[in-house]
Amino acid sequence: MIRHASGTMMRQRDRREGRKGGAARRLLGGALLALGLALPGVALAAESAPVTSPRVTATLLSGRDTVAPGERFHVALVQKLAPHWHTYWLNPGDSGEPTQIHWTLPEGAKAGGIAWPAPRAIRVDPLVNFGFEGQVLLPVEITVPAEARPGETFSLKAEATWLVCEKICIPEDGSFTLDLPVGQAGVTDETAQQRIDAALAALPQPADFRGRLAADGDRLALALPGLPAGASDLRFFPVSDTLIEHAADQPAKPGDGPGVILTRSSAFKLDQPEISGVLTFSQGGEARALTLVADADPALVGKAAEAGAPASAPPAVRIPVPAEGADLSWLAALAFAFAGGLILNLMPCVLPVLFIKALGFAQTAHRSRAETREQGLLFLCGVLLTFLLLAGAVIALGALGSSVGWGFQLQSPPLVIALAVVMVLIGLNLIGAFEIGGAVVGVGDGLASRGGRLGAFMTGVLAVVVATPCTAPFMGAAMGYAVTQPPAVALSVFMALALGFALPVVALSFAPGLLRLLPKPGRWMLVLKQAFAFPMFATAIWLIWVASVQTGPQGVLAALAAVLAAGFVVWLVGVTRGGLARRAFGTVLAALVALGAGWFTIENAVPGADTQARAGDVQAWSPERVAALQAEGKPVFVNFTAAWCITCLANERVALSRQEVKEAFAELGVSYLKADWTNRDQRIARALAEQGRAGVPLYLFYPGRRDGQAEILPQLLTPDMVIAAARRAAGRDAKTAANAP
Amino acid sequence: MESLTRRSFIAGLALAGLSCAAVPAFAEGAARIGQPAPAFQAVDAEGRTRSLSEFAGRTVVLEWTNHECPYVRKHYNSATMQTLQKDMAKDGIVWLSVISSPPGEQGYVEGPKARELTAQRDAAPADILLDPDSKVARAYGAQTTPHMYIIDPRGTLAYMGAIDDKPSSNPASLVGAKSYVRQAIAEMKAGKPVSQASTKSYGCAVKYAPAS
Repeated sequence: MIRHASGTMMRQRDRREGRKGGAARRLLGGALLALGLALPGVALAAESAPVTSPRVTATLLSGRDTVAPGERFHVALVQKLAPHWHTYWLNPGDSGEPTQIHWTLPEGAKAGGIAWPAPRAIRVDPLVNFGFEGQVLLPVEITVPAEARPGETFSLKAEATWLVCEKICIPEDGSFTLDLPVGQAGVTDETAQQRIDAALAALPQPADFRGRLAADGDRLALALPGLPAGASDLRFFPVSDTLIEHAADQPAKPGDGPGVILTRSSAFKLDQPEISGVLTFSQGGEARALTLVADADPALVGKAAEAGAPASAPPAVRIPVPAEGADLSWLAALAFAFAGGLILNLMPCVLPVLFIKALGFAQTAHRSRAETREQGLLFLCGVLLTFLLLAGAVIALGALGSSVGWGFQLQSPPLVIALAVVMVLIGLNLIGAFEIGGAVVGVGDGLASRGGRLGAFMTGVLAVVVATPCTAPFMGAAMGYAVTQPPAVALSVFMALALGFALPVVALSFAPGLLRLLPKPGRWMLVLKQAFAFPMFATAIWLIWVASVQTGPQGVLAALAAVLAAGFVVWLVGVTRGGLARRAFGTVLAALVALGAGWFTIENAVPGADTQARAGDVQAWSPERVAALQAEGKPVFVNFTAAWCITCLANERVALSRQEVKEAFAELGVSYLKADWTNRDQRIARALAEQGRAGVPLYLFYPGRRDGQAEILPQLLTPDMVIAAARRAAGRDAKTAANAP
Repeated sequence: MESLTRRSFIAGLALAGLSCAAVPAFAEGAARIGQPAPAFQAVDAEGRTRSLSEFAGRTVVLEWTNHECPYVRKHYNSATMQTLQKDMAKDGIVWLSVISSPPGEQGYVEGPKARELTAQRDAAPADILLDPDSKVARAYGAQTTPHMYIIDPRGTLAYMGAIDDKPSSNPASLVGAKSYVRQAIAEMKAGKPVSQASTKSYGCAVKYAPAS
């Protein structure tokens, strides 16, 4: 049996191990299953590894070590809370948010809702919260499908989110996985089952009577006709958060029979003829809890608390929120995206492609202005369509709950290697090592004047693809805004980016005047074309380095083999021209080599190496680490980066690794944490999203006091800027004097 | 730790002493829809004393805030709050951000820091009210950050409750959220009654100063 849990940072490593160790894991699972069958009743602790923060230690506990087809059993999310911290019940009270669990289960399997334990009223004067302190188990019933077959693995995955508060509140989450073998008969984990049974036994039991809710002047009277004799310290916790004032006292109901007086919520709303909740009381010194359903006086139903609010009137006409005038920050996002797109043109991997395109215009312009314009428009189409696809992917993945961002496709090593191969091929073509025939897509071959339609379109596609590693200034804010907006708005931001990106080339194609500024076509163009091969090769080197960081030595082997195969294929197609038989032979051989190299690349380019940079005194980032360092009174600098992010690397060179910055950090006692997003990492993606960003770079400076909020630094750094921020975070700046007492 | 215990002890004593009197007073002192909004005076981030009465004849929005609360940050980091503030300003609505955290509690700021936060976040409130003794919060029964109140030009409370219908700190929850504030303002502009005048607010608890 294999089980693991992860805070989101650990998950990435699990996945990597999962990919590599799939076979080993299955073998081990099988062996343990055999052992389990041979020794029924042997209890293995069926509890996932913990997800921990300074406030909560959470695990997923299973009552079964082995599950049987068609059976039902309980698991429980366990939260152990630090003293004074609490998580929330279904109705959190005056503030807060209940714990939620999202399940990923094998087909046909079912997970019930959380069986909520009785909450406690936690006073934060003058407010009150309903929740849990100490340790709480949240049981959930799981149904194994009848079609499950012995020998299979029943894999439960829980993504849980919870808000944990003392006075301040921290949203947390964890991912828990339990891989339970399926056997002929279920095997109970005694220790775990005892804990779960105890939790189930402590759940509020259904009351054997119904309550009655009626108006009592301004307040509400809840009659409890079947309340056990001797019950005292009554408190009613309604499931609805718009029924009562949670903090108000609940005095005993005067008159006939037991009951309590409740104060109506200022947001009082009752749509149903009955209410439900949990009633807690003590009886003979013991704490007891019942789930209670009460019939509401029909006069209360559909009433709102306030005289002025006609909520009992016919259903209010839903008035759509008008889009009043221009939305400034949407416009700002569009402007930023447009500017970001423009600046992308200057990025080193993009510039050669575009410059060659521009030179192509210079050559064709004297022949046909219409043709040049057409080329420009086709380029624009290529750019727009590619951005549309990218935006679609980001939005779709976002809607599926994946945290992805700009540049996410570079988190796949095979794609990084494919890009490196493209760069090498473009470089070889530029330097004249091979000519692209009419049949082959003329990527980047701006000098070819014929057959250039598809070429122009593909140049647009290629330009976007090679631009993805680069985040231009202004782009981060715009993209961060886009991913939190409805799809239509997000698309508009992406389109603004695309238009900005395409503008220089399109403008050039429409303005022959600009082209006339260039010298006449001649030998200089050939030289320049060859010279531009080198930035492409440099980009390829960089991409292979990225792949090496993602995958280790195997990835370098895969990348270089792919480059070799690509070069060979291009050469082969060249030398086997002429003669049908030769051509067929060449094509078949080329296809075989390409397929082989592709397979080899994908097999070997598996994320594996630990990518966290640990050079010098740079530490790996985690939210817990930040909190712990802050608690120690240390200012914390967090660098959200990725090997494929060229802006990030530039900032590290020009600012972060400069001697004066290092000295300032040392003098001020700044801890430097690095969050490396080279490979996919949900936890980092979420941290970026929290700051309203969709990608790297992001630089945060946390002050050295508990729960102090981070300052966001610009996306282009200078040493002075970083040092000034460090001084502010360390409280050496009068403007941010600590306000703690 | 020691000071915390002492503080809770004092708070406990205060609570015990006031138990019956204080709690209903809090609940009943709270603002009510259709009734005159509780009057208040508070010092703003510039050190001026402001009062609700100066804004008679104009629609006023009160926003309870705490810049360090994850729910507040959801709305500011996404620029949703700033956009709302700017749209309201365009309609001539007075937007007052209220900070009720006392010194030593999360969200407490003094004038300069409040102004800096506004500049840094590109926020556009008409003014920021500093309420470190939580008096305004008590008068309105503010529970969470954010907690929103709308007062019509006649000084009547027209809306109280959540900023939108997605009680979550996750930025993804902003997608497709219905803004109760925009809805109420649109209905008020159209001369219609506010269809959802009172909703359950969500967010971090307002950090109250001990009752004096």
